[in-house]
Amino acid sequence: MVIPKIKLAMPEKIYRFGSSDEESAKERYMKHTTLSATLLAILIMAASGAVRADAAAGGKLFQAKKCQECHYTSGPAKEKTIADQLAKKGPELWYAGSKFQKEWLGKWLQDPKPIRSLKYNSLTEKNAGNHPKLAAPDAVAMTDFLMSLTSKEVKEGVIKPNASPKGRLIFTKNMPCSGCHQFPGKGFLGGTNGPSLVNAGERLNPDWVFAYLKDGSKTFKPVRQMPVFAGLMNEQDMQAVAEFIATFKK
Amino acid sequence: MHRFVNHAVLLFAAGMLLGPSARAADGEQLFKFYCAQCHGLQGKGDGPNITEGFPVEPRNFTKTDEMNKLSDADIRNVIQDGGPSASKSPMMPPWGKSLAKDDVDALVKHLRVLCKCKGKQ
Repeated sequence: MVIPKIKLAMPEKIYRFGSSDEESAKERYMKHTTLSATLLAILIMAASGAVRADAAAGGKLFQAKKCQECHYTSGPAKEKTIADQLAKKGPELWYAGSKFQKEWLGKWLQDPKPIRSLKYNSLTEKNAGNHPKLAAPDAVAMTDFLMSLTSKEVKEGVIKPNASPKGRLIFTKNMPCSGCHQFPGKGFLGGTNGPSLVNAGERLNPDWVFAYLKDGSKTFKPVRQMPVFAGLMNEQDMQAVAEFIATFKK
Repeated sequence: MHRFVNHAVLLFAAGMLLGPSARAADGEQLFKFYCAQCHGLQGKGDGPNITEGFPVEPRNFTKTDEMNKLSDADIRNVIQDGGPSASKSPMMPPWGKSLAKDDVDALVKHLRVLCKCKGKQ
């Protein structure tokens, strides 16, 4: 985190306004309010500048660590054929800021445990669990960079965790979600081909899960193994599933 | 010489017209991408998703007798509309919104290669 140097001392001229005997209480109040608002604005601008600075540092780090050899970060999606998808060595990250939860991402980059038990794009090779690790300061910068990559297709603040019987029924019985995705529970815990959803409530932005279901294969993954459910499930059912997935914790 | 050029132009034009069919859907590639996670790369019903407790046994496409009981239309319907459309498990997803008609046809052809059978006519 780059800490911006902010000069908090008030300029003499402005400071003197408040101490003038000739001013009415109302004027003094107005000037104090303006001064406070100006200071607040400066602080906010400085803080957002700091985030931008970290995102930029993270972007440079992304290149320096050669992350782009496996992940691309500029949208829109580039894959058009199965061969295009199979040529990728890792998931696309151009909407990472919409997909992931920041806290989870920051921790994962420092201790990257496999999310899928099989190697990316493979049905036979195990995930070697050898994703590069980052030291804590680098992970902060990288997280800021990745969280700056967002998609306008994701409407924020709609999906809240909710283990409704409807969401559970759709996820575990009526639809084939558990065929490929592991989930927390008892008995059958899901197939292993898809990314595990065991801690999806901490890992994924539930609003992204909803958008991913609604969008079909238009925006995020034009060539994907997951079936398109848009047009087969209504939005209320998709919302129930996204809300149910948002409750998944280890 | 002129005749040669004319022929070349004609051949090129014919090639352009035939382009789409020359890029016909690759049934084996489609199968390995969309189906093999449950049905296995060889179609034996043993893909990596099939772990302990999986609620259903995915169809083994190499069983000629079983596959001969199904018509091409039966297979096409299950691919497009999912298991429940044929009173089978919802673990078989509906692929109708994911795959083009040509893709589904190519998959049916590939299953006929795997089962070495023509199916119910």
